[in-house]
Amino acid sequence: MHIPDGFLDIKTAATCGALALTGVGVALHTVRRTLPERRVPLVGLAAAFVFAAQMLNFPVGGGASGHLMGSVLAVVLLGPSAAVLVMTAVLVLQCFMFADGGVTALGANVFNMALVSTFTGYAVYRLLCRLGPDTPRTRLMATAFAAWSSTVAAALACAGELALSGTILWALVSPTMLGSHMFIGIGEGLITTLVVAAIARTRPELLGARQGPGQAGGYVEFTVYGLLVALGLVIFVAPFASPSPDGLERAAATLGFEQQTAATRIASPLNDYAVAGLDTTALSTILAGGIGAVVAFIFALLLARAFALPERAPSAAPPNDGPCCAP
Amino acid sequence: MKALEVRNLSYRYPDGRAALRDVSLELEAGERLGLIGPNGAGKSTLLLHLNGLLPERLDSPSPIHVFGRPVEKAHLSGVRAQVGLLFQDPDDQLFCPTVGEDVAFGPRQLGLTGSALTARVAAALEQVGLAGFEERLPHRLSHGEKHRVCLAGLLACEARVLALDEPTSSLDPRGRRELKALLQRLPMAQIIATHDLELVVEICPRVLVLDQGALVAAGPTCDILNDEALMLAHGLERPHILQHHHPHPSSVRS
Amino acid sequence: MTVRAVLRDLFSPYHPGTSAIHRLPAAVKLGAILALILVLAFLPAAAWAAYAAAAALLLLAALLSRVPLSRLAQRLLLIEPFALGMALLALFQPHGLQQFLAIMTKSTLCLSALVLLSATTRTTDLLRLLSRLRVPPLFITTLTLMHRYLFVLLDEAQRMQRARRSRSLHQGRWATWHAWASVAAHLFVRSADRAERIYAAMCARGWKT
Repeated sequence: MHIPDGFLDIKTAATCGALALTGVGVALHTVRRTLPERRVPLVGLAAAFVFAAQMLNFPVGGGASGHLMGSVLAVVLLGPSAAVLVMTAVLVLQCFMFADGGVTALGANVFNMALVSTFTGYAVYRLLCRLGPDTPRTRLMATAFAAWSSTVAAALACAGELALSGTILWALVSPTMLGSHMFIGIGEGLITTLVVAAIARTRPELLGARQGPGQAGGYVEFTVYGLLVALGLVIFVAPFASPSPDGLERAAATLGFEQQTAATRIASPLNDYAVAGLDTTALSTILAGGIGAVVAFIFALLLARAFALPERAPSAAPPNDGPCCAP
Repeated sequence: MKALEVRNLSYRYPDGRAALRDVSLELEAGERLGLIGPNGAGKSTLLLHLNGLLPERLDSPSPIHVFGRPVEKAHLSGVRAQVGLLFQDPDDQLFCPTVGEDVAFGPRQLGLTGSALTARVAAALEQVGLAGFEERLPHRLSHGEKHRVCLAGLLACEARVLALDEPTSSLDPRGRRELKALLQRLPMAQIIATHDLELVVEICPRVLVLDQGALVAAGPTCDILNDEALMLAHGLERPHILQHHHPHPSSVRS
Repeated sequence: MTVRAVLRDLFSPYHPGTSAIHRLPAAVKLGAILALILVLAFLPAAAWAAYAAAAALLLLAALLSRVPLSRLAQRLLLIEPFALGMALLALFQPHGLQQFLAIMTKSTLCLSALVLLSATTRTTDLLRLLSRLRVPPLFITTLTLMHRYLFVLLDEAQRMQRARRSRSLHQGRWATWHAWASVAAHLFVRSADRAERIYAAMCARGWKT
């Protein structure tokens, strides 16, 4: 999902850059304020770990292999702000050392994979932990579904950015990106859950290390990330998701991009041949997404059932319940 | 003045197990002292105390004095500059991207900058026989070289006491020989926690035996290490090298 | 269950040398490459003359750097598929071929620029540059530690995988995934422990935040 250089136009890249910079700034500020000094090296090591985990591939079938994105893993292990930092560091090094992901797309990649995926994963994780009974099984199930959601959300943002840049039509890029990442997300959920379950079995206290909104000011960051992600989705995705054909122009006008030729360039082919089927496209996308989510949810339930430790051992549950159970 | 003075030091792990019981020891300036004992005896824990890294909250008054200064919060940075701690795994200690930056880490924290810093780093690397290694990357070094870079990092802080945790473990014979020669060359007081009993015989005139957190014996190296019964009782054994050096073991113990 | 071979090769992007390009200050190289990429990436879709000029410029720099072109091309080819996969989608839209060619040319040129940068500039020099650019110290610490321990962790992972494989006789896919996860979990546990020891080592040498 790393966008290379040349795939984004200047307005999209700049918007992404601004959103990413704000989010990472907030994350840095939060981590500096709330992270105990002795945990600073852990953030660096966790970044190395996520990077290494991204390089270890696992067989998906048919000779193909997948690898982890790791943002929900980082969230569960370290809490949201440190996870944003970890994912950003990974993306920056990948960009400059391995040329994986473009420089002009760095903002977009950070926004998608460090902010959107982390925040979505975290929000889903917290929500599910709150809704379910406070057991290790709930937490595992929440982890699995959060990992799936984070992957799909990042893919959605990515598709929106490519479409808004006028690089690839929304009607093409959204089903491809979303469709493939609904599958990839299953792998992400499986691996994340297996890793978290294995850590819970051997060293449950490490899962208690995450800092969540239980701490002072936690809700502020949560809100800021939420707003940034929402703003991003409104800018990148809403213009296309709107069933009214002039949605894009309206969005572009409100954002002050009306003079941009790119916007009209995408809008016109949409007008030409996609509008007739737009209602059904939007509908089928939503339908497919819904079915995907239900499948992923059932999968998460099964996974948690298979791997959760029985409650008996007091060490099975992290001593500090962390963000999901914070008041 | 004693380089190091420890009086009745006791410590429990956070889970309540006793790690050190009533340990007392002294180290003269320039002396090399061996610290031996089975795995889990508390050797590493003791060394961490010398640097104020344990306990999490420092006691006051401190049972440990370094050149007369107690290991307390107010003196901590001074103590840490004076006691150079060599960790078991050099990768834990070499946390900077290049060798030069790593050696510079300590002196930079002490406020050194510019050409003085560069000179200090170069001198420290020279001392450990790695002159010109500044731009090398730590992960490209051999294990022995990593150990020596760690030592250079301590020398650059102008440490007056070296606390070495298993300095020769996982070194090949040449690496071990070079490290041994280096330790013998260095003038500062050294406390060497190790399973390498031959190293102790070769370079430490005096030795302490630690078992289950308590000091069980202390005295001249040959006397202690020749005491077969004592060695076996504490999970150690009499090194072969002694059989040639001292065919008539005495049983003097302090 | 192996370290992704593709990226494994990219581990040492730096190609040591003493050419004029190698000797340029990292800041100058980074600035020039960033400027080139910015211009290229945001050029209008079919500025073929400009693309040709950029290609000539990059080729000249590559020749000056005396890094074997085959090595640069090899690294380029390793990353190209990721861009290609995304760009292929563009083929299925009106004027798709032109769009496809334009973005592939742009992204290939930008990739070449980055490959050239990392082949002639040590990553450690780039990291050093960051502190001069007033990047927050916490972020630099994170980046630096990540860069330093990435290799240590990957070696650890490889040893663990080998040890695991030496004891597993037949493996279905499920078992492989399980093994993967336990290697990854173990890797994290070890990293967390190592982070504690690094903290101790940093304190021992007078680290103050």
